[in-house]
Amino acid sequence: MKFYVCIKQVPDVNAPLQIKDGELIQDSDRNIMNAYDASALEEAIVMKEAHGGEIEAVLIGPEKARETIRKALAMGADSGTLIQTDENTDFDSLGYASLLAAFFRDKEYDYILCGKQSQDTDAGLTGSMLAELLGLPYVTNAVGITVQNEKLMVKRQGDTGQEIIETSSPALITCSNDMNDPRIPSLKGIMQSKRKPVDTIPASELSAAEMSEPKTRVHGFSEKPAREPGKKFEGEPAEIAAQVAQLLDSAENVI
Amino acid sequence: MSTLLTYISIQDGKVKRSSLETLARCNELAEQSGRKSAALVISDQAGKSAELLAGCGADVIYTMEHPIFKNHLNTPLLRALSAAMDVVKPDLLAFASTEGSKDLLGALAANRGAAALADVSEFELTDDGVSAKRPVMASKIIASVQAKGWPVLVSVRSGSYDTATGTTDPGIEEIPFAFEEADLRITLKEILSATGDKIDLSEAETVIAAGRGVKDEEGRKLIEELADVLHAGVGASRALTEAGAYDASLQIGQTGKVISPQLYIGVGISGAIQHVAGMTNSKVIVAINKDPDAPIFEIADYGLVGDLYKILPPFIEELKKIKG
Amino acid sequence: MEEKFDCIIVGAGVAGLAAAMTLARRNMKFLLIEKGEFPGSKNVSGGVLWGSDLAKLVPGYWEEDAGWDRFINHRRLTFMDDQSAFSVDFKSSHFNETPYTGVVVLRSRFDRWLAEKVEEAIAESDFAMDSFIAPNILVEEILMENGTAVGIRTGEEKFYADSVIIAEGVNNLLTRQAGLQDHYVPADHMLTGIKEIIRFDQKVLEDRFQLHGKSGMSNEFVGFATDGIEGGGFLYTNRDTLSVGLVLGLKDLRDKGKAPYDILNTFKAHPVISDMIRGGDVVEYSAHVVSSGDKRVMPEKLYKGGLLICGEAANLLMNAGKAIQGMDYAMRSGILAAETISDAKEKGDFSETAMKRYQTALEESYVMKDINNFQDAVHLLHDPVMTQKVPNLICDFGRKFFSIKNEPTKKARTLLGESVRSHSSYWELMKLGIKGGKAL
Ligand SMILES: Cc1cc2nc3c(=O)[nH]c(=O)nc-3n(C[C@H](O)[C@H](O)[C@H](O)COP(=O)(O)OP(=O)(O)OC[C@H]3O[C@@H](n4cnc5c(N)ncnc54)[C@H](O)[C@@H]3O)c2cc1C
Ligand SMILES: Cc1cc2nc3c(=O)[nH]c(=O)nc-3n(C[C@H](O)[C@H](O)[C@H](O)COP(=O)(O)OP(=O)(O)OC[C@H]3O[C@@H](n4cnc5c(N)ncnc54)[C@H](O)[C@@H]3O)c2cc1C
Ligand SMILES: Nc1ncnc2c1ncn2[C@@H]1O[C@H](COP(=O)(O)O)[C@@H](O)[C@H]1O
Repeated sequence: MKFYVCIKQVPDVNAPLQIKDGELIQDSDRNIMNAYDASALEEAIVMKEAHGGEIEAVLIGPEKARETIRKALAMGADSGTLIQTDENTDFDSLGYASLLAAFFRDKEYDYILCGKQSQDTDAGLTGSMLAELLGLPYVTNAVGITVQNEKLMVKRQGDTGQEIIETSSPALITCSNDMNDPRIPSLKGIMQSKRKPVDTIPASELSAAEMSEPKTRVHGFSEKPAREPGKKFEGEPAEIAAQVAQLLDSAENVI
Repeated sequence: MSTLLTYISIQDGKVKRSSLETLARCNELAEQSGRKSAALVISDQAGKSAELLAGCGADVIYTMEHPIFKNHLNTPLLRALSAAMDVVKPDLLAFASTEGSKDLLGALAANRGAAALADVSEFELTDDGVSAKRPVMASKIIASVQAKGWPVLVSVRSGSYDTATGTTDPGIEEIPFAFEEADLRITLKEILSATGDKIDLSEAETVIAAGRGVKDEEGRKLIEELADVLHAGVGASRALTEAGAYDASLQIGQTGKVISPQLYIGVGISGAIQHVAGMTNSKVIVAINKDPDAPIFEIADYGLVGDLYKILPPFIEELKKIKG
Repeated sequence: MEEKFDCIIVGAGVAGLAAAMTLARRNMKFLLIEKGEFPGSKNVSGGVLWGSDLAKLVPGYWEEDAGWDRFINHRRLTFMDDQSAFSVDFKSSHFNETPYTGVVVLRSRFDRWLAEKVEEAIAESDFAMDSFIAPNILVEEILMENGTAVGIRTGEEKFYADSVIIAEGVNNLLTRQAGLQDHYVPADHMLTGIKEIIRFDQKVLEDRFQLHGKSGMSNEFVGFATDGIEGGGFLYTNRDTLSVGLVLGLKDLRDKGKAPYDILNTFKAHPVISDMIRGGDVVEYSAHVVSSGDKRVMPEKLYKGGLLICGEAANLLMNAGKAIQGMDYAMRSGILAAETISDAKEKGDFSETAMKRYQTALEESYVMKDINNFQDAVHLLHDPVMTQKVPNLICDFGRKFFSIKNEPTKKARTLLGESVRSHSSYWELMKLGIKGGKAL
């Protein structure tokens, strides 16, 4: 089976952030592989290990995002493609999906795996957009995949429970990080990654045909009004428990 | 007159509260902008479900009925939504943000060449589109976003608006829909339903959330008891859904559900930003944690520092007394 | 199996990166292993990197905007009592010339940038495909055969090399494991460093501290800064933040039952400090053990067959009052260690005798010369007379000297005499003076 995994480099939401004149600034410029994509990749690696196959990681981003492809290779992807953009280009989900669609147009594959959303923007659109642009059946929010005679049994987390969905190749699946714990590359993996092939394609080469004017734009950021810390109760458990229970009734009226 | 169309999610024969919240906003915007507000019900019993919407303030309710809609499947829903858009030609199609709508939004946008804004917490009509606010960076930051050109698709976080009410009875119009099972390129094999008759987390007025500090059966019993006393929904942090102690549909946070109850009680939860992303909009936040420096205390209105196994029993007792 | 490396370096801090850069430039095949997610990720601290070795590692680094924050052309040493501050202040445009002799760095940025430079150097070397920087890997063991290091183990994986450089920093578990440092290091000679990063609008910061372009200031504090605990305070201007913090004696803290964080808050509330940090937002807090620079805690031997120890793993650090020097020592020792390895490779001799040349080179460098020469100053700085009485006395004098009242003014000498008598004694100061004279 041939798997493609779409991975994105995102700013680490745990790193300190600031907003300057409506711009979001991340001082340490700390970037990581989107956690949901890492789960998608992990799942592909597990399937490959059990049933054979080939995994290619695809990333749209600037040169500095190459390190995220290297990480994917160190985890176990066989090859990578960097669809290279300028340092400051920022697409909306449809932009990324269109570029990816252009890339996949002439490719052969069984399954394309995406993350269910980007950790930084939480948009959750690219995967199903890409499927629609390629005319592929798709399953979103997968929390488990098993392989049965070249078909995939995908467990999807729905609103009230889980759905087991059977897909056959070709199809697209978006993955939740609840699926697995992505491996940390081993030293051997890191060493092997250097010799694995990474293709570089300028985004402009793909975009000419497919891209239209972006339909959505971010035009500013603001701080979320912080919640003030309230009162901390320390001491005898029974006492503080009673105290807070009373306050929830009398002061807050929420019980 | 152009239309603002709201997709209505029906779950277990009930209209989801978050859909009514979204509809309320559309009603309001329709009135302000001189448009029509319409609701769209797509289900295996859409006609019957539409009756639930009496007095919801919409001008018209569109229904699409087909047995295929008994369970959630994206291909037929996508076709149905696309067909509805052909008929209604709305300027705006709004969804409550649920796993169901997240499954469709991107594909529908790509299919219709429409702009999509997912998971917004506020939205507004402009001359040529929609402007909205949406939380990003694990809800630490609010981004202002703009979509240009009609139609625009939005999905709205639960708890962003009050629910809709109205006095007039909207008319019901059925949109015909046909579907061949052969077109379903994926097969739904089985549904593992978890919730049964428990209280729906995203609609509960009170939510008890259990975290890694809840270590064993005894702890889960205490959570259950507390939830019973308060008629609360039970949710969990990823640490516990991942460990299989609670069903994955009960996860609260960035990967899981976004809730905004009147009262949230976090028990043995540290308050990682990805969890907090799903509950900061709760009205009153109570946290029980033995670590006085746990980050959750930075956002809790009432922080109880101590062992949950020692605090919960007297807490439950006291609540029972108060409740009568 | 993979081919053997010339060298495996453990730890991608300043010392490890400096060693790696040197090895790459000398065409060696090496592996640099870091337990953090990326070089610098475990290193929330920062400070002034003194000296000009950086210019040797990365020629012309100052032309780049990345990596470093500001160069120091303004230095201040401040004595404090609870209300006042008496400073020795020196600013000079002599310091504006490149290569600078001190640059402020934030480690999470600096280490990562330096690691990228090392990657570039690797790419230009003969071992572009065979030398690696491997993050997110914890080295658990140095593999030894007949008293000679032959490689490392991480989890189940073992990797072999002719030599190993341990650059693991102050928490030197592997150094101890290799038997080069006693398992028991008395807390007497260890300090804890705590620091906050406080953010400002860059323009406000630059106006407040009279900074131009990339110029910066460093300020050290003695006295009330530490609320009676041995140690000192510091304040550095970063690009748009200040680093403000203290180094405090661990033993003294414990004996006096004080919490570092409380002392930092007292420090920040001091009128002089609070004026400097007003309006800023605390964006990061960190605490870290740091060695005192007391030679008594340094391992006597920094080598074994095939094994070298550098940077703070060897407790190479000095805090003699005018500055904390740790990163520059780490850098130089990393360079010297790598040079020793590359010479050893040439001769095909990684024996203990060959490795000993590293320690000799270190002894001959400014690092050990300074550490040896300033030991008395280090001890003096940790003397309670120095952390309390002297600053009080100096501030008392300052207050009298600088106040103008409508009454006859006393001569400075008289005022000084009064201050001395009320805070100390001439005898005590004499002792201190003699010690100080010798020390500096
Ligand atoms: C991309 C991404 C998405 C994520 N999405 C989510 C999400 O949707 N939801 C989510 O919850 N997490 C999510 N996480 C995970 C999140 O980062 C945390 O790991 C998780 O929330 C931790 O759960 P916890 O607070 O229960 O566990 P911990 O962080 O381990 O905290 C346990 C707490 O219990 C306290 N405790 C222990 N014993 C007791 C006792 N006896 N009495 C009282 N207190 C006790 C401890 O002091 C501690 O503070 C996500 C992570 C990533 C990277
Ligand atoms: C608050 C504070 C302020 C300071 N201010 C200054 C200053 O202004 N100027 C100055 O010159 N010095 C200053 N110092 C001292 C300076 O930080 C240290 O001397 C310097 O960092 C030592 O460098 P190093 O490379 O030896 O160790 P480190 O920088 O500590 O690097 C060691 C690296 O090894 C890694 N590591 C450790 N064990 C393993 C393992 N088993 N496997 C893999 N990787 C491992 C660590 O993750 C780390 O990245 C300060 C220190 C503190 C605490
Ligand atoms: N720049 C990109 N490069 C590769 N894949 C991407 C990129 N952006 C988005 N994706 C894929 O789309 C998913 C997220 O979609 P969204 O939340 O809409 O940004 C990610 O998990 C990836 O699988």
